[in-house]
Amino acid sequence: MSRATPGGRDARAAVIAALLFILGIALLPMGAYVALAFSWFVVITAGAYVGISPLRLARRGAIALPFVLAALPVIFLRTDELLWSGTVGPLSLSISGAGLRIALTAVLKAWVSVQASIVLITYSDAPTIVTALRRMKLPDAIATSAGLTIRYLELLRDEARRMLRARTARSASPVGTGRERIGGSISWRARTTGNLVGSLFLRAYSRAQRIEEAAASRGATGSLSIGTLPAADPRLTIKVIGVLVLVLSLTLCGALLPRL
Amino acid sequence: MHLPDGFLAPQLALALWLLTAVIVGIALRRLAASRDTAGAAGRPILMGLVGAFIFAAQMFNFPVAAGTSGHLLGGVLAGYLLGPWAGTIVMTTVIGVQALLFQDGGLLALGANIFNMGIIGTLGGTLIARALGLTLGDGRGARIGAAGVAGWLSVMAGAGVTTLQLGLSGTTDISVGLPAMLSVHLLIGVGEALITIAALTFIATAAPDLLGEESATKHSLLRRAAAGAGVTIAVIALATLFASTDPDGLDSVAQALGFSHFEAGTSFNLFAGYSIPGLDGTASTVVAALIGAAAIAGLLFGLSRLAASRSDKR
Repeated sequence: MSRATPGGRDARAAVIAALLFILGIALLPMGAYVALAFSWFVVITAGAYVGISPLRLARRGAIALPFVLAALPVIFLRTDELLWSGTVGPLSLSISGAGLRIALTAVLKAWVSVQASIVLITYSDAPTIVTALRRMKLPDAIATSAGLTIRYLELLRDEARRMLRARTARSASPVGTGRERIGGSISWRARTTGNLVGSLFLRAYSRAQRIEEAAASRGATGSLSIGTLPAADPRLTIKVIGVLVLVLSLTLCGALLPRL
Repeated sequence: MHLPDGFLAPQLALALWLLTAVIVGIALRRLAASRDTAGAAGRPILMGLVGAFIFAAQMFNFPVAAGTSGHLLGGVLAGYLLGPWAGTIVMTTVIGVQALLFQDGGLLALGANIFNMGIIGTLGGTLIARALGLTLGDGRGARIGAAGVAGWLSVMAGAGVTTLQLGLSGTTDISVGLPAMLSVHLLIGVGEALITIAALTFIATAAPDLLGEESATKHSLLRRAAAGAGVTIAVIALATLFASTDPDGLDSVAQALGFSHFEAGTSFNLFAGYSIPGLDGTASTVVAALIGAAAIAGLLFGLSRLAASRSDKR
């Protein structure tokens, strides 16, 4: 499969598939690990199809794992299905099976869902997805804003990187004593960071002005939604039906297969 | 603070998507209505660039102490620079692009994330900043100071509402989660406030015309008092929300909304259901586990090979 030109392919089926599939994962009941494993196999198969190995997908999916911190209290505070209780030093602790199930289910759902969205963005690049969303009636102001944000993202991030490097070269880390501890108080550091933010905004603003002038001189109307959309996918309906069948079977798996 | 998928109850995630869509729709209408009157509304290119700017500005980390650093979230800053409606649209696209491109936040949870950061943080924060600035006298310093306070409030409100949503979904315990989240974000919020104030002061000094210092007109005492009352009510409402950490109260809300069944489940019984007919007890489970592990390893190997070959072809 060759990568089409940006925006040159109708990616609606892929966007709908990812959204429905993630919804299907979210709807799985607590403790439906078998169904979650099934959904993970679907995702890694799709991943392999677009050229990401399961291991890489798993690693990149780990971005959602730190969020398990939010679910830690339920493991220790719930009092049902106690698996263990005892004292650790001055604390009396207990581990709830129900709490463990909630935390584990949430983390696994997050992990598989992230991988599904990684597969989507690997399959079709961001401009293609924005075009697909435009076709799905995403308001023009948002589509234009998102398209331009994506287009100028790397440029401004590069600019920010250069400014950060300059800051690192001139003011030093807040730790240590002597020469390496050059930066001032917290408010001084915040002011320095704020100045960087302010001057980056001014650069972005003057860039916007230059682009606006250039665009106006070429007859732009203030919208990226010009020109023809890529040819509609003739097999969209059949693809969406296929995805619905897949999501329904995932839901059935969740309802029928044993839960822990 | 970007919620990933899986932590929110699906009903709540869908309800927040709907609420977000309605409010963003209102923002779009307001934006379209003010399109002819100059300002950011008629400048989609500027809005796109400010979106990219917010992304890049979030890279400027702010060393707080050894090993800890905060960074700007930028909601109130964007709202202050572009106006509340355009700022909300910009933050909506920023949060959407973060979810799409960087998997920072889930796709199903995107409605909740836009609600927490784009609507409460940016729209709410900017409106509070305006009202507070008006109350404080509407001078340049007062307005920038008010933006700082609103920046702090927006971080705290976002963290609080996120935790409440997790509590309603049954994935956190409010009585522990809320104080923990709020105390962490207390400092993050101070960083947000300081950076917002410093950035606005810099812009006001370097390019005063950009901040639209149009309100040299004196506002009436009545209007200032009304704005002050509005801010007070907003802050009190927020404080009450955070003070009501009564888990029983929340449980009853969860029950009323129908989330309570998420907590229901079968008894905890590891390895039940994984057995091979003909073998019994532990041996069966071990054999089943070994076969399963071998099958998974084979599948992973095969898929890795497939991925490599497809990746070469592209």
